[in-house]
Amino acid sequence: MLPFQIERIYLDDKAEGDPVTQIILESLPNIPVEKVRDKRPLIKQYLSMQDPIGAGKKNVFITRFYGRWLKPCPGTSQHICCGYYVINAITNCPMDCSYCVLQGYLNNPFLTLYSNWDDLLEEIKSFLSRPHQPFLRVGTGELSDSLVLDSIFPISQQLISLFGERDNWILELKTKSAVVHHLLDLHPKGKTVVSWSLNPVHIIEKEEIGTASLEERIRAAKRCQEKDYPIGFHFDPIIDYEGWEREYQETIYSLFKRIDPKRVIWVSLGGFRYPPQLKGIVKERFPETKIFLGELFPGRDGKFRYSEEIRIEMYKKMLGWLREVYPDLFIYLCMESKEVWEKVFGWAPENSQYLNHLFDKRVKEFMK
Amino acid sequence: MNAIQKILLDQIDLSDETFSVNFMPDLQRLRSSIEEVGLIQPVLLKEKGDGYQIVGGFRRISIFHELGRMEIESKIFGEKEVDDFRLFSISLNENLTTRGFNNVEKAIALDKLIHYFQIDPTIVIKDFLPLFSLEPNEKILNTFLSLARMKEEVKRYVLKGEVSRSNIRKLSTFTPDDQMALISLFSFLKLGENRLREMLTIIEEISRRDRLKVRDIVHRPEIEVILSQKEFTPSQRTERAKKVLVDLRYPKMHKIEEKFEKKRRELNLPPNISLHHQPFFEGRGLKIEFQFQTMEEYRSILASLSNLTEKKEFQEMLGG
Repeated sequence: MLPFQIERIYLDDKAEGDPVTQIILESLPNIPVEKVRDKRPLIKQYLSMQDPIGAGKKNVFITRFYGRWLKPCPGTSQHICCGYYVINAITNCPMDCSYCVLQGYLNNPFLTLYSNWDDLLEEIKSFLSRPHQPFLRVGTGELSDSLVLDSIFPISQQLISLFGERDNWILELKTKSAVVHHLLDLHPKGKTVVSWSLNPVHIIEKEEIGTASLEERIRAAKRCQEKDYPIGFHFDPIIDYEGWEREYQETIYSLFKRIDPKRVIWVSLGGFRYPPQLKGIVKERFPETKIFLGELFPGRDGKFRYSEEIRIEMYKKMLGWLREVYPDLFIYLCMESKEVWEKVFGWAPENSQYLNHLFDKRVKEFMK
Repeated sequence: MNAIQKILLDQIDLSDETFSVNFMPDLQRLRSSIEEVGLIQPVLLKEKGDGYQIVGGFRRISIFHELGRMEIESKIFGEKEVDDFRLFSISLNENLTTRGFNNVEKAIALDKLIHYFQIDPTIVIKDFLPLFSLEPNEKILNTFLSLARMKEEVKRYVLKGEVSRSNIRKLSTFTPDDQMALISLFSFLKLGENRLREMLTIIEEISRRDRLKVRDIVHRPEIEVILSQKEFTPSQRTERAKKVLVDLRYPKMHKIEEKFEKKRRELNLPPNISLHHQPFFEGRGLKIEFQFQTMEEYRSILASLSNLTEKKEFQEMLGG
């Protein structure tokens, strides 16, 4: 049974002949298919609904993509970023996290699956063959969850195979799903990291609708670790609320009771942050959410964040609990300023390039 | 429908408001017009038992009543001649062409269509929202339905304050009692659309985070004191009340601000030098602004600035 519900498939007539389209249709055999020549009136129809985002998540749109598949992660201005690259073979996500920034960005509400994989794989191969820095990290979890749609759109297996052939790249599949069985018999050769976003149980239950439970994610991570996948964890967003300390600490301890920290390639920490236009959308879709009840203010990049004082306190505590588990865990901050890095770690990467260099070093050490 | 007839006012059931959508009608102008030129448009009535039910013309009939007139020119519908929904549509169209509706009246009309006449919401969206010059979508319909459910005083506030749709939606997320508590505060303040939205958001968030009743927030002693100060203008009351609420909403930031303020005062800077922190204390650094008109003033400022380096408070502010 799929961990999400699809009610309809809209098929761009340009994508009809693609083999990937057949794969998707065969994996959703009982779902009505409607052919579409021009998606604009369809999008307009959905955007006029009371909840276009929610409605769009139940509908798949199969089409071709004609832009650049592989791009640097947009990151954020005036903060240290990590030099990540992203592949967007899917746009939108069937999961429904209240804080998801996609709610404020995407003007096409459908789960959009791009069927021209040949173009994607060709572009990646061409990029990989260019001379560049030793290691580059590429993720597929920017505009969707990396794994949740694999049962109907098995792009991850293709990418794992492609990255396994190269020495100078590493693929990261970032997920809140627990569906990993399809990865366990592959041969990633250490070139694919599977990572999970984590939060305490009550945040997952209230704010991460349609995602795997904490327990399910930990079990899935353990299965991947047993199959020698490097695994990672992202405590992002960290939410400030009454009782957060106890619950985040419990989450960390619970995680590392089952997971071997020595075989965790990286852990990231990121405080809750959001672009200003997101709040109105979220409060309308999730009126009971409590994520905005903390003390959040506009930062230098225009995104709202907890005050610096609150963030530093949160990071220091998280760092302390993580170091207690294993002092050599590679921990980094996501989209943070130099000043915060310094106050949390006692030092800061000089710039984003230097942080990227630290990742390169980490990957090399980990793969030894 | 029969030809125009003169109907005795005491045969008309003034208490039957089935077809009425009136709210805070402006009767003065209509009254002056009727007194000057008489009734231009007959009212619409429906036969009901021995008397008549008003379909259209509530305001005209009300004025005739006040003026002590005995009868009024009417067009009459037979009791079973036209169904009530059709009569309501006729009444709405008649009003739309003559005087238009305010937002509360639109809300009442839409509410009656859905809940009294049981019309399918998709039909209301498609056929009636455009009639009221409203965008034909679910969100707009729900906004106006929520307005229809508000208490009279809140509706009055919404109308008088020309409250925007997005703020109506915000207001509708509060319970009726909370809405009443809110307007008991807002009616003392000068709130444009943005300021109202801000206040609603802050109060809602304090209430949810601290599990406080809205009335306990808006009736806090600090706010009551501000509202009771007769010398404050509405704008001044608004700024002060907002500050109380913001400090309540952001207590940690408030403490940081107070600490900074204390240190700033201890620096004893001359009035023509001002010292500022980064917005929301994000990042290091301070900003100093100064004004001068003469070379003497400039030298004095430089001396004051130079002395700052010796002050412990200044070093602490710089994170030293």
